[in-house]
Amino acid sequence: MTRQKLQISSLVLVGIITFGLPVVLRSPTYLHILILLYLYAYLTTSWNLVGGFAGVLPLGHAAFVGIGAYTSTILYLQYGISPWLGMIVGGVLAAIVGIIIGLPTFKMRGAYFALATIAFGEGIRVMVENIDYLGPFNLNGPRGLQIPPLNVGLTNLMFTNKEPYYYIILVMLVAVLALTYSISRSKLGYYLNAGGEEPEAAMSLGVNVARCKLIAMAMSSFLTALAGTFYAQFTLFIHPKSVISLDLSFEIAFIALIGGRGSIAGPVLGALLLRPVGDFSRIYFGATLPGLHLIIFGTVLVLVMIFQPRGLQEPLTRVYHKLLDRLIPVPAGTE
Amino acid sequence: MKILDIKNLTKDFGGLRAVNNLSLSIDEGQILGLIGPNGAGKSTAFNCIAGVYSPSDGEIYFNGEKINNEKPWNLCKRGLARTFQIVKPFSSKSVLYNVMVGSFANKDKRAEAEKKSLEILKYLHLEDKKDIRAGNLTIADRKRLEIARALATEPRLLLLDEVMAGLRPTEVDEMVEIIKNLRDSGITVFVIEHIMRAIMALSDWIVVIHFGQKIAEGIPETVASDENVIKAYLGEEYGVS
Amino acid sequence: MIYIVEDLINGILMGSIYGLTALGLTIIFGVLKVINFAHGSLLMVGMYVAYWAVSLSGLHPYLTLLLVVPVMYLFGYYLQDIVIKPIFKAERDVREPITVIIVTTGVWYILDNLTLLIFGPQYRSIQDNPLRGKMLEIGEMMISVPKLWGFFAAIITAGSVYWFLQKTRTGRAIRATSLDRDAASLMGIKQYRVYNIAFGIGTATAGIAGVTLVPFYNVFPTVGVLFDIKGFIIVVLGGLGSIGGAILGGIIIGVIESVGPQFMTATWTEAIVYGLFLLVLFAKPSGLFGVKYEW
Repeated sequence: MTRQKLQISSLVLVGIITFGLPVVLRSPTYLHILILLYLYAYLTTSWNLVGGFAGVLPLGHAAFVGIGAYTSTILYLQYGISPWLGMIVGGVLAAIVGIIIGLPTFKMRGAYFALATIAFGEGIRVMVENIDYLGPFNLNGPRGLQIPPLNVGLTNLMFTNKEPYYYIILVMLVAVLALTYSISRSKLGYYLNAGGEEPEAAMSLGVNVARCKLIAMAMSSFLTALAGTFYAQFTLFIHPKSVISLDLSFEIAFIALIGGRGSIAGPVLGALLLRPVGDFSRIYFGATLPGLHLIIFGTVLVLVMIFQPRGLQEPLTRVYHKLLDRLIPVPAGTE
Repeated sequence: MKILDIKNLTKDFGGLRAVNNLSLSIDEGQILGLIGPNGAGKSTAFNCIAGVYSPSDGEIYFNGEKINNEKPWNLCKRGLARTFQIVKPFSSKSVLYNVMVGSFANKDKRAEAEKKSLEILKYLHLEDKKDIRAGNLTIADRKRLEIARALATEPRLLLLDEVMAGLRPTEVDEMVEIIKNLRDSGITVFVIEHIMRAIMALSDWIVVIHFGQKIAEGIPETVASDENVIKAYLGEEYGVS
Repeated sequence: MIYIVEDLINGILMGSIYGLTALGLTIIFGVLKVINFAHGSLLMVGMYVAYWAVSLSGLHPYLTLLLVVPVMYLFGYYLQDIVIKPIFKAERDVREPITVIIVTTGVWYILDNLTLLIFGPQYRSIQDNPLRGKMLEIGEMMISVPKLWGFFAAIITAGSVYWFLQKTRTGRAIRATSLDRDAASLMGIKQYRVYNIAFGIGTATAGIAGVTLVPFYNVFPTVGVLFDIKGFIIVVLGGLGSIGGAILGGIIIGVIESVGPQFMTATWTEAIVYGLFLLVLFAKPSGLFGVKYEW
C-alpha cells in the first residue's frame, strides 16, 4: 500500500467516524459540545485565510459573525425569508464590509492593523448595541433578537433535535477545509504567502499584494458570516455581547495561532485541543475556580508562542510523518 | 527601438538630490553596466525604473511606453523584472516554491507553473536544491535563486542590483557566465555592479554615475581610462594628467 | 454654561489620568516597537497592590507609591526578561514581531483570571479613604479632589520620565535603542537590558496610575480592560512613543467623555471615541505628536 493510499484511507476513515458519530452517540449534550467544536473549527479555518495565509493579525472577526447572525435573523423575523437565503445575503454583506475595512487597513503595519481591526469590531458592536432601528430593520439594541421555535424544518434551518445541526456544521467544516486546501495550492495561495512574507519581492514578481489580501478578506468574512447565521439558528437567540464580542474575536485568533496559522490543519487542531479543555474546566471547575479555562488558555498561548511559534501543528506533523515512515518505509531514491 | 530609454531622470529625497538629470538608453539584447562609487545613486535609479520610487522629474520609457509611477507588479507583467541588492527570498518556503511565485506571473495553473519552475532551476543548476528551505541556502545560492525567481516571470529586461556582492571569485565567474547566457537567450540585462572585472567582462556599454549624475559612458576600455572616472573612484590626486 | 467649564476641567483632570495610564504603553511601544496588550492588566495589578497596601497599613494612598513603584518596576522588568525576551530572540529577523503582541495578550488573560481566582470578583474600594468624594469648590464649580491629585501625579510622572530619557545616560541609551536597535547595540548598549528597563518603567507608571485611581475608582479583576482599549486609542492619537502625546491624547479623550454626555448619550460618546481613533489611524497614523516610524 503506498503512502498516498494510506493517507487517503485514513482520511476516509475519519470521515466515516465523524459522520457516523450521531448514530452511536445519542446524548444531546455531547452532540452540542461537538457542534460547537466544529463551529469553532470552521471559524478558525475561515479566519486563517486572512490571518494565516495573508500574514496579518485580524482581531475583529466576530463582527462578521454578528453581521451574518443579525442579517439572516432580521430577514427571517421581519420578512419571513429563509435563513438559507439570509445566510448568503449576510455573507455578501460581510464580504463588502470586509473589503471596506481592508482597503485602508492593509496598508498598515502589523500592530496598527491589529488595533484597527479591534476598533472596527468594537465600533460595530457599540453601534449594534445602541441602535434599535437601522432604517426599517429592528436590531433591538442590547436586548438582542430571539427566534421563536415555530415552523421547524429544513427550509427554516430550525430543528428540534441536534442531529441535523451536527451534519450541517460538519458539511460546512469539510467544505471550508477543502476550500483552504485548494487555495493553498493555487496561484492565490502562493501569492498570499509571498505577499505576507516579503511584500516588496512579491510585488516585483507580479503580485498585487493589496488586491490579493482583499480577496482573501472578502472570502474570509463571507465564510465567517455563514457561521453567524448557523449560530443564530442553533441557539435561537443573539445579542451583541454574544456574537460581536472582543472575546470571540480573540478566541478565534488564538485557537488558530496555537494550532498553527498558515497551515490547513492547524486551526482545526487548535480547536480540537482547546475547546474540550475549555469546556471541561468550565463544567467541572466553573464554580470553584472561575476563569480557570482562561488561565489555561493564556498559559498555553504564551508557552506555544515561545516554544512553537508556528503552532502545535508543526511538532504534530513531524510525529505524523514519523508514523508514516514506520508504517510505510520509503525506499531511498523514490518518491 | 531602445528597450529602455531614460530621459532626464531626477529623484529628490527632501533636500537631497539622489539622481540628477540622468539620461541613458539600452538596446535590446545588450548588457548595460551601471557603475559608480557608493552612494552615487545607482540603486535609486533602479528603484525609479522598477516602480518603487516615483521620479521627481524626467521620463522613463520601456518598449516605447512611458512607465513613470507604474506599479511594480504591472511592470513585471510588461516584461520588466528585477533583483534586490539585499536578497529577499521567501525564507520559510522551498526553493521551488520561491520560483513558482515567479512563474505564476504568466501561468495560472499550478502544474504548468511547476513545470516552468523546474526548467528554470535546471537552467541555473539549482534543481537538486529545489526542496531546500530558502532561508537555509548559502549566499551564492540565494543570489542565484533571486535571479531564478525573476527569470520565471519571463522578462524582456532584467535589472540586476549588485548580484555579485559577497560572492567568492569562482562564484563571481559563474555568475558572469550565467548573465552572459541570459543575454544570449534574448534577455536584455541592466546590471549595477561594484566588482570591476565582472562588469568589464560583461558589459557591452557602461554608464558611470557620481553624485547622481552621469560622468562618463562608453565601451569598457574607454570608461576604464576616462579621467573623470578615475578621479571619482580614487579621488582628485590620482587624476591622469 | 458653568457646567460645561466644570465638565471641561474635570475632563482635563480625568484625561490626564488616562494619559498617565497610557504613558507606559507609549514608552514600551516607542522602545520595543510592540503593543503591550497586557498593559491594562498591569494597571490592574498596580491597583490591587495599592489597595492592599492602603487597607493593611492605613497609609495615605499616595504614600503607597513608595511600595508600588519598585514592586511594579521589578514585575515589569522580569516579565519582559522571562516571558517576552525569548520571543524577541526567536523573531530577530522578522520585521514586525507580531508574536509578541499575541503573547502579551496571553499574559493579560492569565493575570486577569488569576486575580479573579485569588481575590474573587468583588468590587473593592478603600475604606477610610481620606480622598474619597472630596470636592474642591471654585465658585459654583465642584472639582474632584482625587482627580486633582491624579492630575499632578500625571504631570510630575510624565515630566520625570521625560527628564530621565533626555538627561540621564540610561535614558539616552533607551532613546538610542528605540531609534535604531542595531546601531545602538553596536555602540555597546545591551539591547535586551534596555528593553527590560523600558518595560520596567512602563509598568511602574502603570502602577502610579493605579495609585491615582484607587481613591475614587473601584478595584476588580477586569478593571484593566477598559483602560487597555482606551490606552491604545490615546497612544495612537497622541503618537506612539510620544510622552507629551500620551498625556495630551488622554486629555482629549477625557474631555470628550466629560463634555460629550451634555449633548448626547454616553454610548454615542463611546462611538465617537472609536470613530476618532479610526480617523487618526487612517489619516495620520503617527498621531498628533508622533514620529513617523521607519518599520
